[in-house]
Amino acid sequence: MLPFLLRRALHAVPTLFGLLIVTFLLIRIVPADPAAALAGDNATPQQIENIRHQYGFDRPILEQLVLYLGQVLRFNFGESQYSHRPVGMDIRQRLPATLELTAAALLIATGLGIPLGVIAGVYHNRWPDFLLRVISITGVAVAAFWFAIMLQLLFAMQLEWLPLRGRLGDGIVPSPDLTGSLILDSLLAGRWDVLWDALRHLVLPAVTLSLGGLATITRFTRAGVIETMQKDFVLYERAVGYPRRRLIWIYVLRNSVTAAVTQIGLLFGALIAGAVVVEAIFDWPGIGNYAVLAILTADYKVMLAVTLLIGVIYTVVNILTDLVHGLLDPRLREQL
Amino acid sequence: MSISRREFGVLGAAALAFRARHANAGERDVFVFGQDLPANLDPHQILDLGMTGYALNTYDNLYRYEDNPPKMQPWLAISHTSSPDGLVWDFKLRQGVKFHDGSELAADDVVYSVQRLLGIGRAPAAPFLPTLKPESVNAPDRYTVRFTLDRPYGPFFGMIPMVFIVNPRAVKPHEEAGDWGARWLASNEAGSGAYRLIPSSYLPLEHADVEKYDDHFYSWRENSQAIKKVEWRPTKVTSTRVLALLNGTIDMTDSFLPVDQVERIDKAPNAHVAKNVTMRLLVIRMNNTKPPFDNINARKCFAHAFNYTGFIEEIVKGNALRNPAPLPNNIWGYPKDVAGYDFDLAKAKEYFQKAVAEGAPMRRPIELHVQQPLEQTIQAGQLFQSDLAWIGINLKMVNDTFANMTSASAKAETTPEMWIHWVSTYYVDPDNWIGQMYDSRFHGTWKASCWYTNPSVDELLRKARSMVDQEDRAPLYEQAARLIVADSPDIWIYNMIEVCGISNRVQGFRHCPVGSGGEVRWMRLSA
Repeated sequence: MLPFLLRRALHAVPTLFGLLIVTFLLIRIVPADPAAALAGDNATPQQIENIRHQYGFDRPILEQLVLYLGQVLRFNFGESQYSHRPVGMDIRQRLPATLELTAAALLIATGLGIPLGVIAGVYHNRWPDFLLRVISITGVAVAAFWFAIMLQLLFAMQLEWLPLRGRLGDGIVPSPDLTGSLILDSLLAGRWDVLWDALRHLVLPAVTLSLGGLATITRFTRAGVIETMQKDFVLYERAVGYPRRRLIWIYVLRNSVTAAVTQIGLLFGALIAGAVVVEAIFDWPGIGNYAVLAILTADYKVMLAVTLLIGVIYTVVNILTDLVHGLLDPRLREQL
Repeated sequence: MSISRREFGVLGAAALAFRARHANAGERDVFVFGQDLPANLDPHQILDLGMTGYALNTYDNLYRYEDNPPKMQPWLAISHTSSPDGLVWDFKLRQGVKFHDGSELAADDVVYSVQRLLGIGRAPAAPFLPTLKPESVNAPDRYTVRFTLDRPYGPFFGMIPMVFIVNPRAVKPHEEAGDWGARWLASNEAGSGAYRLIPSSYLPLEHADVEKYDDHFYSWRENSQAIKKVEWRPTKVTSTRVLALLNGTIDMTDSFLPVDQVERIDKAPNAHVAKNVTMRLLVIRMNNTKPPFDNINARKCFAHAFNYTGFIEEIVKGNALRNPAPLPNNIWGYPKDVAGYDFDLAKAKEYFQKAVAEGAPMRRPIELHVQQPLEQTIQAGQLFQSDLAWIGINLKMVNDTFANMTSASAKAETTPEMWIHWVSTYYVDPDNWIGQMYDSRFHGTWKASCWYTNPSVDELLRKARSMVDQEDRAPLYEQAARLIVADSPDIWIYNMIEVCGISNRVQGFRHCPVGSGGEVRWMRLSA
């Protein structure tokens, strides 16, 4: 397994390098001149030129690229041209919020998606299957921002059960910051008031974010279950009177979820990217929100760092997905 | 599946617990802003609406704009004098003013602040740089600050409120490699204002809290029930912002609300909309260097093809005043006799044909860049698109960001053919609008992004800028405005009526176009 991991890690390096170069060139080729944005209203062309020179924006683009790559190799992502804070520090501060939201969304999507997919597969072409098909197609088709607003209107405004926005209520003092995750930190500190408040804030954004993933996992699991149910071993087990529930939830499920697991891996990356919209709607202080603000202010070092981060997450999750495949399917394990 | 009585009772209790907890949120004794925070907290680096709102609460300035129309009030300065030639300005400081660290604010601190502003050389310094050198600011005595200008500069006094005074004793220990402490002050505060930052509360662009500064020189004499704590909790999405106002999570929104949200707040029992005439112009720019906009008949065709009344009455529901000239209609120097261009598709067609006859490429697709996520710019574009189609012009809308468009306007060839934006009030002087938008000296800046050149206009604007007395300057701006309107370089649509959602528990809101009414020291919270 170790050689496999090393091989995949080595393959990831040029991929991430390529991603960084393409993103750098794309960001720097568009007409946006961060110097003009920094100089602000009323600036004279001379002032803009001075700022351009001060930040090195007037150097040849390849020189800028080489300098930037040199910084990245030393794990220095530069500083935000607005906040003057190291981008790495900003990301460290915001990433746990995004990971917490994404993990919760993935948990919901997987926890509900797999059982629903099994039910749909087992009751193939019967009413539970029809109902779940409608739900899953709706889940894929519905726009996240519309669904989020509907949830806000129902649960925050009408029923007043859940908070409208943010990560923690005003007046709640968070637990000491150990992991950056409010939920983990409050658990470690035994602060049940913080845990309760953080969980309540997490529900609406996590449900919104999970919707597309839930539909995808349901559909892939359903397809896998339908295929497995046709296999000889299932027919045999059924014929010999093996307990139906045990057969489906252990043997059929295990043989059906390979495709769904691949999707779960890919979904994790997609959910991190999708968090951009959800974080903006719910004022969730994660990297999605950070990226949107960076785009609006042409803060290109932030844009680059966030792109690289999402690339790294995708890569790591892909490697982990391959590992899980190996654990689920002994035939694949030999290739690891 | 059925629910037992016991289970039903548990669910009901859980629901009540949720509701009860939420209701507690409304009992806060803090004021919560839903407005944007500035990109960082240093008032010498950033100049935008977010910064003006933040700095007016945490810093002091020599003079300050108050109310609407804005009036200059002595603030840290108790008086000022200027030499007859307008070159030397002396400001007498109030004694006994204390910074948040308890040290006294004196003339040397003002000198440091101005030198820091000019040294950093960012947006707030821009209007001063052409006429003021760092070494031309000094302190003849402990309570007098002297500015010696390179040449007479009419807008100078009006720009004084843009200089916020920072405490050098707090900033200097954090200076690194000649950065004027810029890195430190971006996340901290070193002022003397009515409120002081709680640094641990700050996460850039996400949240910041400030608390009442009891020793502020103003002594809170006009507001014994002043708000003790203010929290900035910016909301990025308009619908969330309005819902947050309606459920009591925030107390005040921004002032760019779309009409449907205004109507929604108007119907709410716990909030209202404050409407105030301001000095914020909505302008559609035309790049006068790019065909067909290098042709005056083409520009006039576009100017007659915008449905001003329809846009103001139907789309923004009357929350704007028609403003047909390149400066706000409520400032001195505005030419009352200028009618501007009306919506008349027959005239537009006439100019279209004249332009075509002169070889202007009127039938090629024209790009109008609109600002994401500001909905009004998109609505204006859509309205324009449909009317232009009627006369045979193919307008294409391009989604863009303000940062991209301002950057692109550094060169004529990269400036969009058309784009739409507001010009807000940073200092109350015609120079903030007409001066910087149409003097060719400012080509390469976003404000002058129509690339208009008229030597007569340049001469008038520069002459007006070199004079000190308002009475002498006003006729020059009026004359320049007439010439500019005749040349039709841009399409001036309206002067905005700001619409800001405010919780009914907020009392004492006072609006000023500078800062959009964000000064909290006037306000109090009712029970």
